[in-house]
Amino acid sequence: MPRKVRVSEKSRRTTAQAPGSGGEISRVPSVTPPVAFPIETLVPQVRLQTPAVGQRVTRPDGRSHGLGQTRYIDDLAFPGMLYAKIKRAGIAAARIRSIDTREAEAMPGVLAVLTGFEIPVNSFGPSLQDQPVLADQRVFHAGDGVAAVAALTEQIAAEAIEKIKVDYEPSPAVFDPLQALREDAPKVHAPASNIYETQVIRKGDVDAGFAKADHIFEGQYRTQMVEHVPLEPHAAIAAWDPNGRVIIHTTLGRITLGRADVARTLKLSLNRVRIVATIVGGNFGGKNEITQEPVLALLSKKTGRPVKGVFTRGDEFTASTTRHPFIMDYKTGVSKDGRIIARKVRLVADGGAYCSWSETTLGKACILSTGPYRIDNLLVEAYVVYTNKTMTGAMRGFGAPQVCFAYESQMDEIAAALDMDPLQIRLLNAFDEGAASPTGQVLHSVVLKDSLLKAAQRFGWKEPRS
Amino acid sequence: MTDVTNVTMRLNGETRTAPASPETTLLALLRDQFNLTGSKLGCDAGDCGACTVIVDGKAVNACLMLAAQADGRDVLTIEGLATLERLHPIQKAFEDNASLQCGFCGPGVIMSAKALLDENPDPTAPQIRDALAGNLCRCTGYAKMIEAVHDAARELRAQADALPGHKRRRAGGEMESA
Repeated sequence: MPRKVRVSEKSRRTTAQAPGSGGEISRVPSVTPPVAFPIETLVPQVRLQTPAVGQRVTRPDGRSHGLGQTRYIDDLAFPGMLYAKIKRAGIAAARIRSIDTREAEAMPGVLAVLTGFEIPVNSFGPSLQDQPVLADQRVFHAGDGVAAVAALTEQIAAEAIEKIKVDYEPSPAVFDPLQALREDAPKVHAPASNIYETQVIRKGDVDAGFAKADHIFEGQYRTQMVEHVPLEPHAAIAAWDPNGRVIIHTTLGRITLGRADVARTLKLSLNRVRIVATIVGGNFGGKNEITQEPVLALLSKKTGRPVKGVFTRGDEFTASTTRHPFIMDYKTGVSKDGRIIARKVRLVADGGAYCSWSETTLGKACILSTGPYRIDNLLVEAYVVYTNKTMTGAMRGFGAPQVCFAYESQMDEIAAALDMDPLQIRLLNAFDEGAASPTGQVLHSVVLKDSLLKAAQRFGWKEPRS
Repeated sequence: MTDVTNVTMRLNGETRTAPASPETTLLALLRDQFNLTGSKLGCDAGDCGACTVIVDGKAVNACLMLAAQADGRDVLTIEGLATLERLHPIQKAFEDNASLQCGFCGPGVIMSAKALLDENPDPTAPQIRDALAGNLCRCTGYAKMIEAVHDAARELRAQADALPGHKRRRAGGEMESA
């Protein structure tokens, strides 16, 4: 029996309604608090066995969203709250000679200024701790924060960061990942190598496979850097409680990881850090790690007040993670009937200035790089390199979309060269039930061919295209 | 700080006054002074439409309008749509169609839709798309929003027709020819 989500919409009278206002429609009052929830919100019904398939589902938070009542981080305010701004380096690679914050500190309305030297442990990152919270000695990319200000208003904070003078000694930078691979390239994190993660997959004998192939196809495929652009920018509010615990309201998606990172950078034990996460206005992988949280915590500690920080849209593009651009070289040996015999892949992922989730991304890209196709002879070599650009990290698919673009593009090229139907060449090579992935994982419930056939039938693949 | 002036406007049907410094945007005034946080700051540059409110019947980006420019005008925000008894039909349609996922763009989208339906009660899909062109969404996608606006338009027309003694006037008749 279909079950409807029940919503009580019975009318309620509140004191906010002016008595005797006649037939006039009562409006939600626009005073603080602006709106008492006018209508009961939906309550998700859990732990009830329901016939879920085919049922219409209403989002439990949909009503609040539509009413404008969902409180995102930037919609919260605490008494005495200050506003923080972070000064961005604006230079891709440099040594910091000095930071002069005196003029900013002297400004009326500025309550605290923070530089990287004041951060107890000035490094973080989900796998490699290679990212400074605020750059102190060296700048690794233009979006690096170099100083932060807490002020009474956002405008004062914005003006104050303009008055902070940073003296840079520019150093050579590298922007092209292929150039960064070379031994003589400027080292982003000198003396460490620019190649900070390498992964290799070998299966069969790729050279013997190429020798047996009737045709060899080679191509290079590139994808670009992509910013997540969540509609809600990164935002956080830090405050300390009387017991010496820091409470951070933040747009963070991974709160336990963020808690560990905050505790590490502030040199606090885990139980001194409380992360409060609410509804996030879009994440897509871009809000998986801390950004400004330790800065706000320290500014709050200095001032004894809650401190809010909201990224500008500019900060989002320059100082938050992005999707890895990939340069992908594919060499594929094919028999004359279209069967793939051997494939050699080289992936170079542009990691930007910091590791972030590059290891995960590279691993997943590697495993998926040869596509859902039975290929007996494989060699995949994958590298992720530092460049002096905005760091790259997690984003929807962790490297899978990039390699998909490459292997499917080449599949089309092979089909065209062999004068085969692009669908047929895929069906010929596709994984079957029990096929093994490049790393030897035996796959079950493989419905690839069924899906391809059904999709082709549904959108009329056989019909002539204009 | 010395140039703070009082701004008085008709806000969601009530006359409201608040002090505003010259650089204060309408969005900042609504959010910080009136605590109407339904209008969101997404880009602060008029690109994303998350701050859309209706001023004198027109959908505007509140982040691009100075608070002082709203003086003496009629401002409607997302908080002014629902009554204590019921959701606005657009809000209802957005809920029923699951048109909002993270919801951050939602209030702006709904206000753009409201401005459209006030002028044109029976818009075509291209007209809806055109009206929502200034509102960016990153998760839900636009298809369900367009469906919701269609549904809301239908509901609003039905309500208008059902009003006793109503002249069956199609409010935006002049817009329909566009």
